[in-house]
Amino acid sequence: MKISLFFVIATALTMGSATLQAADKAAGEALYAEACAQCHGPNGKGMASFPSLSGRDADYITSRLETYRSGEKVGSNSFLMIPNATDLSDDDIANLAAFITESDE
Amino acid sequence: MTHKPFLRPLSAFIASAVIVGLPAVATANEPELSQTEVLTGLENPWDMAFLPDGTMFYTERCRGLSVRLPDGEVEHLLGMEGTEEYATTADDLVCEGQAGMNGVAVDPDFDENRTVYVYSASQMSEPRTNRVLRLTVNSDFNEVSDRTDIVEDIPYKPAATDHPFGDAGAHNGGRIRFSPDDGYLYVTTGDNHNSEIPQSPDLLGGKVLRIDRDGEAAEGNEPPEGFDPRIYTYGHRNVQGITFHPDTGQPIVTEHGPWHSDEINALVNGGNSGWDPKPNMAGRGDCPDDYCGYEPNQTEGMDPAERAAYMPVTDTETYPDAMQPAWKNDGLSQGIAPAEFLIGEQWGDWDGRLLVGFMGIGFGGTPVGQRINLIDIAEDGLSVNDIAEMSLPMGTARFRSIVLGPEGDLYTAVDEGSIYRITPE
Repeated sequence: MKISLFFVIATALTMGSATLQAADKAAGEALYAEACAQCHGPNGKGMASFPSLSGRDADYITSRLETYRSGEKVGSNSFLMIPNATDLSDDDIANLAAFITESDE
Repeated sequence: MTHKPFLRPLSAFIASAVIVGLPAVATANEPELSQTEVLTGLENPWDMAFLPDGTMFYTERCRGLSVRLPDGEVEHLLGMEGTEEYATTADDLVCEGQAGMNGVAVDPDFDENRTVYVYSASQMSEPRTNRVLRLTVNSDFNEVSDRTDIVEDIPYKPAATDHPFGDAGAHNGGRIRFSPDDGYLYVTTGDNHNSEIPQSPDLLGGKVLRIDRDGEAAEGNEPPEGFDPRIYTYGHRNVQGITFHPDTGQPIVTEHGPWHSDEINALVNGGNSGWDPKPNMAGRGDCPDDYCGYEPNQTEGMDPAERAAYMPVTDTETYPDAMQPAWKNDGLSQGIAPAEFLIGEQWGDWDGRLLVGFMGIGFGGTPVGQRINLIDIAEDGLSVNDIAEMSLPMGTARFRSIVLGPEGDLYTAVDEGSIYRITPE
């Protein structure tokens, strides 16, 4: 039983680590510059009607992008975010979340 | 990984540049440009105004009014609610959505009266309004005093509505400029996503006001009978730029389009710009929260020409005498904002060109379009002869303000948080 529990924990930790490692921050940076910076600003501070991403953790970024990708409205800028998120892959979202979170550190 | 959504607008932009924009750029005597970052780390810088010695007053939308002196020293003069570091803080001045402290203008007789003006949202009255404040600057340029609100009743959008950019404070106008020709202060306002406002005879939103230094109506304003005498023109959507033709003195404004047709309009005293987004008129039915300003299909892309037929910026069928735009941005809406004329031989073939800046917005297949255009506008203000795109060392940004400095260089404030000085070589 102890061995099984250890195995489960070890596997979970390994998977978690692998997920973090899988996030390609460089790819996220490139994607951010191409798709996000024109509204959220080069450093994610937000501009004009577009909110700041500063202080948001990876779970928040991931959750919001997944929500927009599903077509669900969240806030008055959904009309811009939903089309931008529609074709994002899981990797894209993970990469963006990793880059945005790192930029804020 | 898939990057489709991001490549689409880029390719569209390239295509449109090839088709529309670039051929007009080639002129024989274009200056090379260099740039200096004058200020950085700002929060949404919104506008600038200069004294002849290079002293630059500037606003940050959620912070307040500051001044940069010729030696580079910065003094923070009038802060808004919640700010620190300012010589004076006015807790009634508030920031929300697109609203906050917007335009700034220097009195033409500043040497004698040391007066500047700012346009700001205020919670001094309920509901909130936008106000034009007159302020006196002390001799050390580190304090302002004698605040007098010369206009107190420009409408402010009080609550969110079901529209794109629908938060409170939206469509707030806010540019203020003195005409070098008649000496009056022109104030541009927005429609607040409220369809009753643009054609209203007494609500000051969706208008261009022309007033004196005390906020009184300028002599010679000719709005229709029964209108507030401060109104110079009406029927606007959200005017974010105003300048004056260097030869004729005619005021020229930019007008945000509703998912189509950003406009440049040369104003005629008393004129109607033809914006009327009411539901159940001009062939329209009901609209979200009684405002048709982004209809039809306000949150989904569609052919801008179809939109223009349904909800025109200038509705000449309903208002046959409406002022006609000089230019409609090839039928696209990309966040047109500041306007300024380039003056000076150092600008070569660009001397006398009208500059308009775009903040950019990519929606429904429209290219984002962040840029500054150089426009050769006809002297009668009814058409354009030529359009070019200024190639800037700094690249693209959300161009919020463009002002010609006293030495003839160009200054631009961008939402990214900087003010640049652009010099022709």
